[in-house]
Amino acid sequence: MTKEIERLGIPTAQISAIYEFAMTTGANRVVRGCRIEHVCGDPELGAEKDYAFGMRIVRTALAALQTAVDGPTLFDPAEMLEA
Amino acid sequence: MAGPLRVVQYLNQFFGGIGGEEIASMPLQVQRGAVGSGRALQPLLQGQAEVVATLICGDNYIHDQRDKALAVLTEQLQALQPDVLLAGPAFESGRYGLACTEVCKAAQAAGVPALAGMHPQNPGVESGRPDVLIVPTSASPADMQTALAAMVRLALKLGRREALGPAELEGFLPRGVRRTYVREAPGYQRALDMLAAKLTGQPFLTEVPIHIPERVAPAPPIARLAQATIALVTTGGLVRKGNPDKQVASNATRYFRHSVAELQSLSARDWEAYHSGYFNHIVNKNPNYILPLSFLRDLEGKGEIAGVYPWIYALPGVSTPVAQAKRMGADIAHELQEARVDGCLLVAT
Repeated sequence: MTKEIERLGIPTAQISAIYEFAMTTGANRVVRGCRIEHVCGDPELGAEKDYAFGMRIVRTALAALQTAVDGPTLFDPAEMLEA
Repeated sequence: MAGPLRVVQYLNQFFGGIGGEEIASMPLQVQRGAVGSGRALQPLLQGQAEVVATLICGDNYIHDQRDKALAVLTEQLQALQPDVLLAGPAFESGRYGLACTEVCKAAQAAGVPALAGMHPQNPGVESGRPDVLIVPTSASPADMQTALAAMVRLALKLGRREALGPAELEGFLPRGVRRTYVREAPGYQRALDMLAAKLTGQPFLTEVPIHIPERVAPAPPIARLAQATIALVTTGGLVRKGNPDKQVASNATRYFRHSVAELQSLSARDWEAYHSGYFNHIVNKNPNYILPLSFLRDLEGKGEIAGVYPWIYALPGVSTPVAQAKRMGADIAHELQEARVDGCLLVAT
């Protein structure tokens, strides 16, 4: 589905915990999510840190949308600089 | 079957020895026996078959005057009554390959078994699927002998009306036709034999070919995020609480879109997940985990993005056939494109 949206020229970031699989299927901008059951955050961290973590994932995804790529590329929130 | 098989070959103007591009508009003509590159075909038939006639047509004519050309071809085949028709080999030539495919379809319609030869990437292959038998060749006419030899093997079987086995054994490109039959050894034995072969560097034939997913050209990046409208899509199975739309939990054939124009966040009171592929209870407590609306609203409030597209799209992405996902993705893509959305976040579980 990501590829169909991308095909019409809309940059799309796919946020997924199974990020390697997302890259194999050909999604160009892949963002590493936390876990399948809670992709954009982690309830184990407590409310404040959970939200901060989710925000970091979303910021990483938006950074991916602003980045030119040649093919499937992984954007890992752990490696993104603090906004 | 008494006597040699009667073979007709179809060639374009070049391989028929008439001329090049300048004569690509020549109409279909018949010549007796093997002509042009067909002269290499006759010896390969080794007395088991005879090229009784060659049909030659310009690559432009057969496309521009398709119906007329195929009508003449059908007439000729009805008069000649061949046992089999060979079209090409066309190698990489797109127009020629497409012509060969059309000729084979017309021949089959007239009751004459037919096959074509061309490179696997020739557009004639796609247009021939699933009805036309195509023998793969290299891209280069320098390999004419090899190509013809491969075509002859299959042509003789077709001409004798013998039943064909699987594509990989008979030497034609798979057409997506699946026939069940009983294999000689049980599955575990075949699997172990395959593994042993793989580990010792021996050749083996997979029973489950992996299809490489298509690549799509990356869309250009967003130049100014502060002016961008971002859309949200999820395959995490987000539904309104109680699932009033009655979305399914797997193998979805449709998605639902919901308006979030008035919402700052997805609350557990109004939303939940219904997706049989993962443990839904955590998302049920905070649906933003699979559709990060709260975060985007936060950023919108800070002016980091211009806005969130008011429609969100959801389905349970489990047991979804690729073709369905593609169709649903294309539908959503068109809506987003019409709405001039600048970017999209898609959360997959």
